[in-house]
Amino acid sequence: MRKNKHRGIESLKSRYGLMFIAPWFLGFILFFAIPIIQSLLFSLSDVSLNNDGLATKFVGLQHYRYALLQSGAYTQTLGTAVTSLLYQLPIIVLISMVLALILNQKFRGRTFFRALFFLPVIIATGIVMDILFMTTGSMSDSTVNESLSGNMFDVSDIAAFLDLPAGISDYVEKAISNIFDLIWSSGIQTVLFIAGLQSVPTSLYEASKVEGATKWEEFWFITFPSLSQVTLLVMIYTMVEQFTSSRNPMIDSMYTLMKGGNYDETSAVLWFYFALVGIIMGILIWAYNRFLVKRWS
Amino acid sequence: MGLKLKIKTPQKKERAFSKRFTRSRFGNFMYFFFLTAAGLFSVLPLIYAVATSFKPIDELLIFPPTFFVKRPTIVNYLSLPNLLSNLEVPLSRYIFNSLFVTVVTTIIYIIISAMAAFVLSKATFRGRNLIFLVIQFALMFNAYTLAVPQYLIVSGIKIIDTYLVYILPQLAATLGVFLMKQYIEGYVPDALLEAASIDGAGYYRIFWQIVMPVIRPAWLTVTLFSFRDVWAAIPNGTIFSEELKTLPQIVTQITAGGIARTGSAMAVTVIMMIPPIIVYLVSQSNVVEAMSSAGIKG
Repeated sequence: MRKNKHRGIESLKSRYGLMFIAPWFLGFILFFAIPIIQSLLFSLSDVSLNNDGLATKFVGLQHYRYALLQSGAYTQTLGTAVTSLLYQLPIIVLISMVLALILNQKFRGRTFFRALFFLPVIIATGIVMDILFMTTGSMSDSTVNESLSGNMFDVSDIAAFLDLPAGISDYVEKAISNIFDLIWSSGIQTVLFIAGLQSVPTSLYEASKVEGATKWEEFWFITFPSLSQVTLLVMIYTMVEQFTSSRNPMIDSMYTLMKGGNYDETSAVLWFYFALVGIIMGILIWAYNRFLVKRWS
Repeated sequence: MGLKLKIKTPQKKERAFSKRFTRSRFGNFMYFFFLTAAGLFSVLPLIYAVATSFKPIDELLIFPPTFFVKRPTIVNYLSLPNLLSNLEVPLSRYIFNSLFVTVVTTIIYIIISAMAAFVLSKATFRGRNLIFLVIQFALMFNAYTLAVPQYLIVSGIKIIDTYLVYILPQLAATLGVFLMKQYIEGYVPDALLEAASIDGAGYYRIFWQIVMPVIRPAWLTVTLFSFRDVWAAIPNGTIFSEELKTLPQIVTQITAGGIARTGSAMAVTVIMMIPPIIVYLVSQSNVVEAMSSAGIKG
């Protein structure tokens, strides 16, 4: 990690600096800082619509209490959101790492394949994504899915054949039925991994080759440990993306609630949600550094 | 491990070599297999969208739906202008609006963010680290949290029903500042700026002629993301005039027409996919490079 102290070059006097940063900073204050504080205030008050606009009355933590303790719906949706992340995260990390390892090799058509896997990142946003997923079904029972995986193999048959424990076969089945979603969510992660792979010093590989390490050893003793920071970055990115995606059940239910004019409750639930997401991410990052990274270095 | 392997007999080496050779051949096959499978998964929905946009009405209604089109027709595209004729505004106007808003927003956003990133990475002033911390924190927030308060501000500064509704809120996005700041710290050495300054280049000159060319991969990548986001954005309840609406809003109106409109909806979707793909093809080679600097600080 570079921790260089910038003394700042002489010509960058703070006066000019201020001028340069001002336009962005103004926009940031106006459209991020003020709204975020306002939404925090909303979550602590009763918001009602009247002729002058919105009227707020401070009520403290009432909405938080209601959402968490009295209304069971939120906690249930929250559970779904968290468990679905827990199965998505490892698969997305795995898919993107394998893709990056392959796409980092030299072979003909590499540029084409790199572009191919990044394509969903470019076009799959907002309405286009909604339409693609709406018309191709919820992907788990879509035409595309059936015509591919359904005809080629039946997952539960294979699971039964291999005599896997129910938990694992459920997991595999879930993963395969959501394969589009998962591959479509791996674009940026793949690029991050490729970038990470390119920053591993080649001297390490040369040294290991001289010492006669196999490809497998090369991966486990050089590539994988060198990627530990990028892996963490990918995990953080995936979590943020999945937790805030508009197809996340929690965000989705909040959107309907907000459309109904329930600003105060929406704000409260969302603030709680983000706090929880922050805590989950904090724990994962801590555990990752504590139990995995330490062991390698 | 290293020591043991160092003292190898030639025989062993040879065997190790041949073993690796066959393994890599099998590996090649696996690579190819995995790439093709994953590649198929990532393009199939797109192919399906394109195929569906060329389906005649009777093929659209088949259940279960077919994947490929049997008798392709461009009627879905041709009927688009008619479909929108009751909206008093021609389709070209929506396309123009979308392109105009997206291009203008992206250009302003890039310049503003690059200037901020330049200052944040190279100048010293109090609160610099705090601002950067807030930027990282802001990356985490979803737009929905801010929707209502942002609406209040938009109506407060009286820009409802103007192009500014599309442009201004986007400028608060922090991804651009984040990526470009990381890139400047990684690739623009202080010495370069000092040298330029000694040669008599002013502040603006340094920014435009030295910093911007060097961080080209970073801003091309940010362009890609910004273009993608603005292109798909739908402002909530802040645009009422039909002549100011953009393509995504039209798509919602068309899909509201039910299953018979699937073909038209797909046609608009396909049209909507084209500009971001063009932008991607232009900036594509720079994305990996820019991303490598994102991880510098982690």
